[in-house]
Amino acid sequence: MIGSAIAGGFVGTLVMTTIMRGASEFGLTRIDLALLLGTTVTDNRRKARAFGYVFHFLIGLGFALAYGGFFAIVGRSGWMLGALLGALQAVFTGTVLVNVLLPVVHPRIGTPETAASEIALIEPPGFLMRNYGRRSFLVVLAAHVLYGAVVGWVVRV
Amino acid sequence: MRRGGYAPIEDYAVIGDGRTAALVARDGSIDWLCLPNFDSPSVFGAIVDAERGGTFELQPSIPFTASRRYLPRTNVLETIFTTDAGAVRVVDAMTIPDERLPPLRELARSIEGVSGTVPMRWRCAPRFDYGRARPETGWRVGVPVAAWRGEAIAVANWDTGTPAWTDGAVEARWDVRAGARSLLALATAHGEPLVLPGRAAVLSRLESTIAFWDRWSSARGYEGEWADLVLRSALVLKMMIFAPSGASVAAPTTSLPEEIGGARNWDYRFCWVRDSNFMVDALLRLGCYDEARSLFWWFIQATAFTAPIVDVLYRLDGGVGVPEREVDLSGYRQSRPVRIGNNAVRQQQHDIYGALFETAWLYSSGHHALDADTGALLGGIADHVCDIWRRPDSGIWEVRNGPFHFTHSKAMCWVALDRAARLAAAGEMPSRHAGRWRREADAVRAYIEEACWSDDLHSYTRVAGGADVDASLLMLPLVDYAGADDARLRGTVAAVDRLLREGDVVYRYRAADGVPGGEGCFLNCSFWLVSALARCGRLDDAAALMERVAARANDVGLYAEEIDPASGAFLGNFPQALVHLALIDAATSFSPAAARRSERPAS
Repeated sequence: MIGSAIAGGFVGTLVMTTIMRGASEFGLTRIDLALLLGTTVTDNRRKARAFGYVFHFLIGLGFALAYGGFFAIVGRSGWMLGALLGALQAVFTGTVLVNVLLPVVHPRIGTPETAASEIALIEPPGFLMRNYGRRSFLVVLAAHVLYGAVVGWVVRV
Repeated sequence: MRRGGYAPIEDYAVIGDGRTAALVARDGSIDWLCLPNFDSPSVFGAIVDAERGGTFELQPSIPFTASRRYLPRTNVLETIFTTDAGAVRVVDAMTIPDERLPPLRELARSIEGVSGTVPMRWRCAPRFDYGRARPETGWRVGVPVAAWRGEAIAVANWDTGTPAWTDGAVEARWDVRAGARSLLALATAHGEPLVLPGRAAVLSRLESTIAFWDRWSSARGYEGEWADLVLRSALVLKMMIFAPSGASVAAPTTSLPEEIGGARNWDYRFCWVRDSNFMVDALLRLGCYDEARSLFWWFIQATAFTAPIVDVLYRLDGGVGVPEREVDLSGYRQSRPVRIGNNAVRQQQHDIYGALFETAWLYSSGHHALDADTGALLGGIADHVCDIWRRPDSGIWEVRNGPFHFTHSKAMCWVALDRAARLAAAGEMPSRHAGRWRREADAVRAYIEEACWSDDLHSYTRVAGGADVDASLLMLPLVDYAGADDARLRGTVAAVDRLLREGDVVYRYRAADGVPGGEGCFLNCSFWLVSALARCGRLDDAAALMERVAARANDVGLYAEEIDPASGAFLGNFPQALVHLALIDAATSFSPAAARRSERPAS
């Protein structure tokens, strides 16, 4: 199961990253996950994106393992169950993970509490990431659903 | 002196925390505060509707005179009320949060008896949602609280009498004796429970806020002429940088009129791309490298959504689209309508491309290199400028009877393409299209020299083939369109000086612009004339004008967008970033460091 979860996580993250980058290029959203994640460790924009893609793939693998664990517990897997988990993860990401938890560990992202004594380099994403474009959450939802579907399809229990 | 409930605009001072700002009148009344952010609906809006807008008054209850200042090197306001019974010192600040569980936003008002015993009164009448919502009022553990939907405020108070709610306002009276200290703290919440602060915590934050601003000022390096005004401008600009995103608000107010009783009332609580090159230039000159980088990053993030088209303005959170609507408020001294949002965002204003590239050039040559994605983004925008510069636009003044072929817009397109070619040559942008950018830059210049010059005026003209001048032409020497000894440039500066200046103020233009009513003189134009004169080598003329315009500041060193040349009364939104940016540019134009922007060494 672990091997298939890693494989599913890799392919799923690949799909997700491609969708989000494509959505950005087509003007649907200003989300830049690589920049968001990479600027947790550097304020150099060039290096940040490189770090960010590495982090994103590691996170994708981690979640795939968690999905695999969930599939093992419930005793079944499949693309529909994976897509459902992906949708739940998207809602969690848009409402809590990026909006509330990421600013706690991110030294360069703004929050509603950021005052004149601090310098924010990354604008806060806002609830459901609406600050990055009104359609941002739809993009996140679609990307996560496809990620989950891929993981659910690949992982065997 | 108030007229019909409205204080003169120049009677206001501003306090802020980098998220929102409050206007405090000389008589101690806070008549403007939006919560939680600059561009949120107002809770105190008496400046645009004295009856329904909401206010937070604090003053002696007997006749008084008031004098005030900012505490040295801070954005903390001190007002001394003097009465026949004695004197009282009030210190107002939007506090900077600390680690002691601060409210989401906090406005502290400290009251100290200086002499005698002075009867005082305070009254807080919150009116949420631009005065349209009547809040639920009540008490939480003895603290007066008002709430409406997800918004709430509490007025924590210590030794300030026994407050009581009456008709939607909480108020109290008490006596302040010499040496005694009282305290009010407005704590606010947005979609969360109120934090009710303790007295010691509020006083601690007040002290640390004073210390923060003093520390920030100490790091500013300017020591030339008019240093006090430059530092005050730097402080107010820092206060108007929306800290959560790094964007800079053009002014923290909406609909303060350009003409009393008129309709030229606009919402300035957004970030104009046009201001960006002045802002980054000023920040870099004053050693605010982190703020400059934050603003530039914000611009790149915001414009990425619309690129290669760049909007005129963006919301502070980086969003696009700020639809304009009118709200049912009586307006400052009956100046209707009061507008929320700004339709200028829909206009084609080609000069903003020059501002964006000048910003990138200053940022790159002044401190930081551009990354590959930013370079590629700018490359796409430069290609777009090649495609559009031949089209007419609405211009820097956002005229509503256009479009026209504005000379200033063409010149700023030249700036965009010139800087793009320079950045490409420096390896900061892809160079694949650099040849086209240079060719098109030359074509823009040829157009300006051919179609936008008047032998009769001995000046560039407002629009191609026109017969009048425009203060925006003063930007040409500021963006190094030509050398300081260029005869056409000198002729243009002289023509603007001759045709648009009245005393120490400069009109934008004399032509119709499609908006009914008149206006005052734009103060940034006066400072641009100082800069242009200085860059043309007319240093004595520039210094004399600078002295006179500097004297137009109000008693705490702030400027509104415009001034009535006859009465000296402020008009328009207040305080206005562009005026303070132009002041900094003018003051620093006299120093050797004001070398041509385009020739500053690359890092």
